[in-house]
Amino acid sequence: MDSSTMDKLTVLGEGAKYDVSCSSSGADRSNIGRIGNAACAGVCHSWSADGRCISLLKILLSNDCVYDCKYCVNRRTANVSRRTFEPRELAGLTIEFYRRNYIEGLFLSSAVLVSPDHTAERMYECLWILREEYGFAGYIHAKVIPSTSPEILHRIGLVSDRLSVNIELPSEDSLALLAPQKKTQGIFGPMRQITETQAEHRTLSAPGLMGKLGAGMDTFRPPAPASFTAAGNVPAVTRRGRYKERFAPAGQTTQMIVGATHENDLHIIRTSEALYRRFSMKRVYFSAYIPVASAPELPDMTMPPPLKREHRLYQADWLLRFYGFRADEILSEDAPNLDYELDPKVVWALRHLEFFPIEINKAPLEELLRIPGVGNTSATRIMRQRREAAVRYDDLKKMGVVLKRAKYFLTCSGRYYGDGELEPYYIHEKLTREARPLPGGDTKAIAPYAPAPLLDGAKIRGSLAGGGTGQISMFEALQV
Amino acid sequence: MIYLYDGTFDGFLTCVYEHYYSEKADGICPPGAYQPDMLAASRRVHTDEGKAGKVETAIIGKISPYAFARIYRVYRTSTDGKEMMLLNYLRFCFKRGPGAAFLHSHPLVHPVARAEQKIGNEVHRLCGLIRFSSVSAPAGEGAAQTEILYARVSPDHEALEFLAPHFADRFKNEPFIIHDTKRGRAVFAWQRRWHLSDFTEQDAATLASTAREEAYRSLWRNYFDTMAIKERTNPRCQRNLMPARYWENLPEMQLR
Repeated sequence: MDSSTMDKLTVLGEGAKYDVSCSSSGADRSNIGRIGNAACAGVCHSWSADGRCISLLKILLSNDCVYDCKYCVNRRTANVSRRTFEPRELAGLTIEFYRRNYIEGLFLSSAVLVSPDHTAERMYECLWILREEYGFAGYIHAKVIPSTSPEILHRIGLVSDRLSVNIELPSEDSLALLAPQKKTQGIFGPMRQITETQAEHRTLSAPGLMGKLGAGMDTFRPPAPASFTAAGNVPAVTRRGRYKERFAPAGQTTQMIVGATHENDLHIIRTSEALYRRFSMKRVYFSAYIPVASAPELPDMTMPPPLKREHRLYQADWLLRFYGFRADEILSEDAPNLDYELDPKVVWALRHLEFFPIEINKAPLEELLRIPGVGNTSATRIMRQRREAAVRYDDLKKMGVVLKRAKYFLTCSGRYYGDGELEPYYIHEKLTREARPLPGGDTKAIAPYAPAPLLDGAKIRGSLAGGGTGQISMFEALQV
Repeated sequence: MIYLYDGTFDGFLTCVYEHYYSEKADGICPPGAYQPDMLAASRRVHTDEGKAGKVETAIIGKISPYAFARIYRVYRTSTDGKEMMLLNYLRFCFKRGPGAAFLHSHPLVHPVARAEQKIGNEVHRLCGLIRFSSVSAPAGEGAAQTEILYARVSPDHEALEFLAPHFADRFKNEPFIIHDTKRGRAVFAWQRRWHLSDFTEQDAATLASTAREEAYRSLWRNYFDTMAIKERTNPRCQRNLMPARYWENLPEMQLR
């Protein structure tokens, strides 16, 4: 080990840190190699000064990129120093960090070095050395370079736990504007291949609780494997006693940048719902745009990163995955942006007061989950205690219910505990006054951040007013 | 009657036995915690594995195996007065049956559930926050000098034995020691087998740091600093997730 390792680690860590995905969850495996195992819940190992967890060694294999995506620190025209890891060097470093329990595994990403396939082959080499030479059985998350050929992707999937292809931007127009070399097909092709191969290997599972909640979520269930034989992969050996090839057992994720382009929140939520529905993604991550470059297509360099907006989007995402909400319930064309003052669940409840108050001792699980301040843990506790004894109002706090919000929306054995009328403006007033301010310097929803699109009118179908149209065209491309 | 016992789990189960078969317990005290009281009589309880075994069978059979596991985990926390808390919980469970665990907010159940959650959280957190160093152990009788992994922790609760299986599997080919500096105990593990034993600072002093160790530490520190996004700095969030009491054993949180 020499000083060049330190140098590479700094430069290539710097380039990878804007990747949001951090989780090491979804794979449950004891030590089948020589070192390492994976815990289903995932383990965080440290938290950096921005409060984000460090779980995997998140690093680029190279930052020497041939692409010129406007929002990216590593774009070809950027003036940064370029480094590339040798696959063996990175594998060795991973093992040394892992032995000391600094990390839970490797998150390997890369800039496009020479070509997508060239990069993917080098990434595969690094992962292969880890798995085969070091006998590493810990967690591996591999970032798939758009337009990688299916054969190499398949191999990478067999040595990784989780794969991700970044959708980057929520619409085709924005992609054309900011990342002209990335093509829709290059992104969705690998996504579809991953889903279909997982279906063939029977490792496909729905995100969050989507499979378990309510009839409306039927579409989220993975399709029957039979319809996917067309993917052309060798089916997994499932006979007892034989080693079963596992293809990305922890599923796939993706991420998109928020606040660099003109899409509204409804558009973003709809896009992520479609991704969950179509590809059975485990997660769709959002990353608040941090200005790294000045270009006429991009927002002003002085713009603070839209952290509040990102936070609200994640809340909406949780509603999709764990609470049985649909995108169209959370936002509508009339009010296409999330509220900065109140969380999306409260906003939904205030718009649908006809469902409330909900009786804690009678309502089924799906309805309990609709009460603001009641989450999955507390709803399960309520259901359990109800089998033994009635739930009283005083019990709710001990069960983890946030009464500050919940008290306006429920009754306990017929009694209402809110301190006034069940009336939207009154409750809105009360809750806004008590709400804790969110961190982040962004002040209002998207409009001020959206720069005027510079392309010709025909290319911009989804401008500020009709953000929804771009999304449809993007998914039309999938039908082919 | 106040029972004085030796501070072992079997001793505690023996006290439970005595509570039912000889005299009601008004208090159960581990060594050092007893403060003589003019009004209440006290009695020393000798740990009896037979009696403890009977109580164990009764808990598993009449309540549930889950209840026994839960009692064991809560016993390993450092909650004040955990013995009486557990005894009262047990009495309630024997009356109510296995469903008692579902009465989450009941005054006898809630403190037990909370204590269980605390140790569970700490074990999970330590799975990530333990830092090993590669050290060389001194040559002993019939053993050459070897390189082993050594970690120091000072957990709030007795979390060592719940951590051991996770790491014993993960590093099955490397001998390692996890040293609880607060309690002077350590896990020794190799090839998926592990045991707990006493381990002092003098013992720890015989382990010599290897040359490469400091190099990897500075690599890690450097990587840790690189990962923070300047525009999103949020120290409060960091401290909530990684409480300051764990920092002493984290190389990345040392002043530099």
